[in-house]
Amino acid sequence: MKDRTIARYEGVLKVTGQARYEGETSPEGLLHAALVESPVSCGELESLDASWATALRGFPTLVTHDDAASLKPSAATSLIREKAIHFHGQPVALVAAASLSEAREAAKAINVSIAARTALTQMDQALDQAYAPAMVGRFPAATRRGDSTRALGQAELVVRRSYTTAVNNHHPMEPHAVVCWWEGKKAVVHTCTQAIFGTRAIIAHAFEMPPADIRVLARYLGGGFGCKGQLWWPWMFWAMLASRKTDRPVRLELSRAQMFTLVGRRQETTQDLALGFVDGHLTAIEHDVVAQTSTHAEFSDSTAVYTRFLYACPNVTTRHRLVRTNEPQPVPMRAPGTAPGTFALESAMDEAAELLGIDPLELRLNNFADHDQENGRPWSSNSLRECYRVGAERFGWAERRTRSAAKIGRWKIGFGMATTLYPAIRQACRARVALRADGSLLVQCGTQDMGSGTYTALGQIAADALGLPMDKVTVELGDTDLPDGPFSGGSQVTASIFPAVDAATSKLRAVLTSIATSDPASPLGGKPPEDLEFADGMIRSRSGNAGERLTDVLARATSNGLEAEGEIPATDHQKLAATGMGYGAIFVEIGVDPELWEIRVRRVCGAFAAGHILNPLLARSQYIGGLIGGIGMALHEETVTDATTGSILGKSFTDYLIPVHADMPAFDIAMIDENDPHLPGGVKGIGMLGTAGIQAAIANAVNDAIGKRVRKLPIRIEDCL
Amino acid sequence: MSSASFNYVRATELTDALSQGKRPGAAYLAGGTDLLQLWKASLTAPQDVIDISRLPLADITRAGDRLVIGAMARLSDVAAHPEVKAGHPLICDAILASASGQVRNLATAGGNLLQRTRCPYFSDAGLACNKRDPGSGCGARDGENRHAVLFGGSSGCVATHASDLAVALAALDAEIAISSASGERQLALSDLYPLPGETTAPDSSLRPGEMITAIRIVGAERFAPHSTYLKIRDRASFEFAVVSVAAALRIEDGVIAEARLAAGGVASLPWRLGRSEAALIGRAPTEQAFAAAGELAIEGARPLEGNAFKIPLLRNAVIRALQTAGDQS
Ligand SMILES: Cc1cc2nc3c(=O)[nH]c(=O)nc-3n(C[C@H](O)[C@H](O)[C@H](O)COP(=O)(O)OP(=O)(O)OC[C@H]3O[C@@H](n4cnc5c(N)ncnc54)[C@H](O)[C@@H]3O)c2cc1C
Ligand code: SF4
Repeated sequence: MKDRTIARYEGVLKVTGQARYEGETSPEGLLHAALVESPVSCGELESLDASWATALRGFPTLVTHDDAASLKPSAATSLIREKAIHFHGQPVALVAAASLSEAREAAKAINVSIAARTALTQMDQALDQAYAPAMVGRFPAATRRGDSTRALGQAELVVRRSYTTAVNNHHPMEPHAVVCWWEGKKAVVHTCTQAIFGTRAIIAHAFEMPPADIRVLARYLGGGFGCKGQLWWPWMFWAMLASRKTDRPVRLELSRAQMFTLVGRRQETTQDLALGFVDGHLTAIEHDVVAQTSTHAEFSDSTAVYTRFLYACPNVTTRHRLVRTNEPQPVPMRAPGTAPGTFALESAMDEAAELLGIDPLELRLNNFADHDQENGRPWSSNSLRECYRVGAERFGWAERRTRSAAKIGRWKIGFGMATTLYPAIRQACRARVALRADGSLLVQCGTQDMGSGTYTALGQIAADALGLPMDKVTVELGDTDLPDGPFSGGSQVTASIFPAVDAATSKLRAVLTSIATSDPASPLGGKPPEDLEFADGMIRSRSGNAGERLTDVLARATSNGLEAEGEIPATDHQKLAATGMGYGAIFVEIGVDPELWEIRVRRVCGAFAAGHILNPLLARSQYIGGLIGGIGMALHEETVTDATTGSILGKSFTDYLIPVHADMPAFDIAMIDENDPHLPGGVKGIGMLGTAGIQAAIANAVNDAIGKRVRKLPIRIEDCL
Repeated sequence: MSSASFNYVRATELTDALSQGKRPGAAYLAGGTDLLQLWKASLTAPQDVIDISRLPLADITRAGDRLVIGAMARLSDVAAHPEVKAGHPLICDAILASASGQVRNLATAGGNLLQRTRCPYFSDAGLACNKRDPGSGCGARDGENRHAVLFGGSSGCVATHASDLAVALAALDAEIAISSASGERQLALSDLYPLPGETTAPDSSLRPGEMITAIRIVGAERFAPHSTYLKIRDRASFEFAVVSVAAALRIEDGVIAEARLAAGGVASLPWRLGRSEAALIGRAPTEQAFAAAGELAIEGARPLEGNAFKIPLLRNAVIRALQTAGDQS
């Protein structure tokens, strides 16, 4: 498979406004919806007085828990079926009206009566109530390898530290929206989702209808980062109920403020870490995580999971616990688990290096894990040492001694580095390719493009397999009328679609080859199939000077074109012969003003090894976007709950700081191509790698610059005092 | 979009605007960058909105030692004006450190002085806030108060004033010209901003219907060689000040003859640092003199749980601003 720098397939459509996002769908007779929110964070909804609201203009229609009573009970419907209030701002009803302003006016005019109960609004109020979940994602919540207690007792050096990370919100540019209507018993749902088939399945379950009667569309997404998933479903259901009740299409779009409360967050963590060393080698690690979840659902990031893999260490104990609070529910957010987890582990490694008096990079090389010690099997491929080497060289890590704490203008300079990693995973996927008589190719897969380049990757894989130029390819995705594709999450879409498209194009190639070779009239007639290649719109003989255009080959057999489907089953990662993991080494240079304590990132170099890179241009953009998100988590982003009311404070981009352009330094991205024989196409996910590691690299650099170790995120002015 | 609607009136003449503006529930609209956001978030609900942005009050003129900035002048125009750049660089510095290019293209000088606080409790209609809703209490005092004041706070309100321009203007002893249907008056800029009471905390001392028509700065060009605006924030741009300092010195024969210092992000008004100023007069612009001024700047600071870090920050910011201003020539 070739790697090619191809500009985004849908780029022109997006920058010229021709790409229609689902929330822009505007069918005839559309009603607009607004949510009525709970003013308290704990209690029981008693009643809604809408007498005044229904007298307003626009004939508002109210949809409540009573309307949702017809839905089948499940985790996805509980918030709209059960009247318990779990968090401040929880919707208690939906109003649909002729215009958005009328809907909002009506929503405000509804009197909500709630029997309030005392709320628990901060995790640290209830640390004693922490409990252990069974699983963290697809991993066990608690593990023990060897005997870390004993090993810590015998270690020459023990580094025991606590680290905390703040709540973050995902904030894709495009807020969640749905435009939905009913066609008799069938439902059409245009909505922002990272999983069209998952959404269809949950609608089918809730409304007890056949999936085939539901069409879900998400052809373009303005980002997701993990929040366009299950927490959106209840409000989407309410919009669908409103449509059924009014017999009109209904549109609901969340406000930026609601994006802070209704669709998930990166949970806050408190992490206790103990590292034991003998002779500069890790002999023990204990990583203990406490994190927040809500009172209506459970989620734990895999925060300590990567501590089981990253370093060679015989004695490793990890544990995750959760505390329930009356705050919004967390969900995975870009680099789930690895972002907060590597902050703790890679900060502690830096602290250890300082105490051991050795270079932090050397300490990591000395503790490199040459196989997956947790599962006792080899890596499918692992070029982490190459990442360290290439990154250090490009960054100029060797200058650290002379540059550290040097002053440039008002800035004290600090160098820091850390490791990032993310597992290579894959899901079930089906894809269809159709070669038309005119030589154009249609590629279809029911997955989504979050803005990360799935259209391009899908088209590129198919075009390459058939030797066609990209401009001959049309890609369709984001529609449940297409073959079932994977959900967009966990950096595994490209790895999942690759084998499915590969299977489909292989079938097409086989048919085309046999048409050509079995027809004596073809210039390729009688040639051995293994001698043929697909290139430049032709099938060509590698050995002889013969070839025929694809369109001509096709015309020999049919005037309708050819179609083929490919399918791959889900992977049971536990049963694989080798563990797939992507890696990266992040190097940063920061400046800290030693008297005003402002921190600015000056330079970032990321060296990544994540299998075979299909399209370096897209990959580079994924890495840079990831790193910027990581800078935000390290220095800016923090969602704050008011302890008294449980309300999220400052629900806007004025208060919730994210990096602006002036905060984005020069990024030097190195991609180390790997030849991974275990993974189909050698493809690993890349989307998460940039968003982890950088937080610790920045904290380590702050320490390097001003000798101040900050063990919390975000690192703010007051932390550097 | 807000549900509350209002009557929109576009004023073409000052007298007309003033007579409309005195109606109860009327609000002036200049650039709209603050007013419309507050309206969208249901934090204000004017009945009549008088658009004054087209009134002929946008001129920037210099006559003798007097600079007059029309209240309707856009921030970007003020900062780019040759007379302001040459004679009042402190004003340019403060403006260019404010908001973003897009906001500055729309925002007016008058509107900037009258923008409301950025206290996160004020910005959420569901939370207690004496400033928005007199008598409802103050959520920030015992809540999240990293942003809160060090000076002049009350049990009723601890919010800061958000304007950068006002800090620079306070250091330059600016005056504002005010008109209303019943006449005109002048006010020292620092008198525009009241200290908070126990249950109320108005953002300005303007009376209903009053309009700022101009900002006047007299005799401030003498500070041009030695002035600076220092703004400290969590990210590199597009953020309100955590702490800011406007410093202006007149140095004569190696000695500080006059000193002006005002701090932002520490009070409900631009906080003039009188004791620091006095201590600088007659001294050479040395590290010791600046350090002493820094120490005096934080005398009397009363921190809350989340904002004590602003005390050393203010001290160091004063020192740094003086160093920068003192270094120039
Ligand atoms: C994202 C963002 C970031 C910002 N960052 C900064 C920053 O870093 N520093 C900073 O200083 N500011 C900042 N601002 C605030 C911005 O500078 C103000 O919103 C702007 O200056 C207000 O001017 P305006 O003309 O748009 O006022 P408007 O919104 O039109 O009016 C503001 C208020 O003043 C009243 N008013 C306006 N003009 C007059 C007048 N002549 N007489 C009487 N009353 C009047 C209005 O009725 C209203 O109450 C920021 C704003 C935004 C949106
Ligand atoms: S500090 Fe002032 S603005 Fe903030 S909540 Fe208290 S009263 Fe309102």
